[in-house]
Amino acid sequence: MSHPISDEVRADAALAREAVQERALRRRAGRRKVARRLVTLFLLLLPAVGLRLFTAVYPYLQTIRLSFYEYNPAFPPERFVGFENFERMASDPSVTSSVSFTILFVVVSTMLQLILGLLVALLLNRAFFGRGLVRAINLIPWAIPMVVAAIGFRWMYNAQYGIINDLLRRTLGFTVAWLTNYWSARVAVTATNVWKSTPFLALVFLASLQGVPEELYEAGRVDGTNRLTAFFHITLPLILPQVTTLGLFMLVWQLASFDLIFTMTGGGPGYATQVLAYAIYQVAFTGLNFGYASAISMVLFVVVAIFGTLGVLLYRRVEVIY
Amino acid sequence: MAISSSKRREPAFADRRLRVLSWLDRLMLILSVGIFLFAVLFPFYWIALSSFSPRYELFTIPPRYWLSTFTLENYQVLADNIPLLRYFFNSLIFASGSSVVSVVAAFLASYALARLRFRGADLVFVGFLVSIALPQIGTLVPLFDLYNRLHMINTYRGLIILMSSLITPFTIWILVPFIQQIPVEIEEAATIDGARLPQMLWHIVVPVMRPALVTLLILNFIISWNELLYPLVFATTRATKTLSVGLVELAVQPTSGGGRPWHLLSAQSMIMIIPVLVLVLFFQRLIITGLTRGAVK
Repeated sequence: MSHPISDEVRADAALAREAVQERALRRRAGRRKVARRLVTLFLLLLPAVGLRLFTAVYPYLQTIRLSFYEYNPAFPPERFVGFENFERMASDPSVTSSVSFTILFVVVSTMLQLILGLLVALLLNRAFFGRGLVRAINLIPWAIPMVVAAIGFRWMYNAQYGIINDLLRRTLGFTVAWLTNYWSARVAVTATNVWKSTPFLALVFLASLQGVPEELYEAGRVDGTNRLTAFFHITLPLILPQVTTLGLFMLVWQLASFDLIFTMTGGGPGYATQVLAYAIYQVAFTGLNFGYASAISMVLFVVVAIFGTLGVLLYRRVEVIY
Repeated sequence: MAISSSKRREPAFADRRLRVLSWLDRLMLILSVGIFLFAVLFPFYWIALSSFSPRYELFTIPPRYWLSTFTLENYQVLADNIPLLRYFFNSLIFASGSSVVSVVAAFLASYALARLRFRGADLVFVGFLVSIALPQIGTLVPLFDLYNRLHMINTYRGLIILMSSLITPFTIWILVPFIQQIPVEIEEAATIDGARLPQMLWHIVVPVMRPALVTLLILNFIISWNELLYPLVFATTRATKTLSVGLVELAVQPTSGGGRPWHLLSAQSMIMIIPVLVLVLFFQRLIITGLTRGAVK
């Protein structure tokens, strides 16, 4: 009992049903594909994100919490003290002077590193015999540990037997007790820091210099510009974005300097060369005052945030201008 | 030859002035290179000299500028007094472990960030970069507590986790643009062939990226070899202390009148820098491209 028409309809309906089923299947397959993509994504990101969560994010959140507590790991119970740690800091010379010296140290170091780094890059960009070797030698201060640089310079700064005082005595007739005077100690650690990091900046600037098209200089030469004007009107504007980026990076990065001060002066004489990172280390692992150390860490973090924000704003401006 | 000499003779006056100028220029250049080399190399010369001189020759006024008596005694004394070989081995494990773990973790994450376009990819990338700015010192107190509870203080794995995590963001920063510049067609062809992701990464992406990955392995090894803060806090036993910790212990310990043992400090400094110098000399080209790729986009 079958009408030809209803047969057709039935066939159509079957086709439609098949189409729906197929679409559903495809959708399910699509969904499975999306799910698989998500699993893949998760697995790929897991190691790196996991590491950062475990050793940076979680500890930072804990540090924020601990900064409101008094906590000595030898006498476990933590005690909530509100803002006591922060109030105490205001009248603690080891903290206040480390804030000011950290900023001074970082700003002066970075400025000198930028200027000297540019000069060295310009030098290494010129043609001379043995340039490849000199460029390789330029890598050495970057590659050696800061602790070794600090020890080498500490030995050279030695008041009695140090080579620097001997050279001073021979040429200028006087000596300086480098690491035992307030300002000379500050100069000494800053100089060591500049020595250590300038070659790295020079290396990066050299790469930027090599990116400046030679035709620009040729055009300048036709116009009769000398080398100095060429530098200020051709080279500098072109590499300024990289100079600011690197300057910003060095500022923020060096705010956390620890190795140099720890090895070279221990923050001395007095608190003359004490930086925040060293103060935190001392309070935490010599004084076992974990709460107070966390509070000082917050100060360091705020300084980093301020410098970082200012730096990014400055970078934006430079990008707009050039 | 003839053309150039006739050309040179043309304006006699300007020519002489130019020649004097270029001669002065050469002289200035050579002088600057000399000053630069002196400034960079002298501290090494001084450390090396002090490490090979007998103790009594170090403490003279005026100091000796040249080696008069060569001796390896300082190295011998050092090896007799501290477990030098053990520290060297610890440093080697710490640095190579951190280097491998960070490069693997960063490679996987960079591939996801560069290739699998997903919502929030930029956010994750920026998150990694911002986490560089969080000072390492601010994490030590909670980490010390945590490691204490997990019994991970004085373990290689604990140290390697910390260090590789510290350098992973940098590595990602360098790797992401690198992966983006590889033509995606190669991988698409592989997917059509039915290669699954792990096989494809291993057989297709890794070989293309070998130079970049090797560079980062070397850079991360050097950075970890030189690290002080994490081992200083989390490696306090002979079995885990690194060379950097051994060196600063000798440098900051209180001295009793006799002054610091500069001969021993110099010898240990030499031991610490020689592996790094060898790496730098062998791989200078790779290191330079690696260091500048991140900074110059």
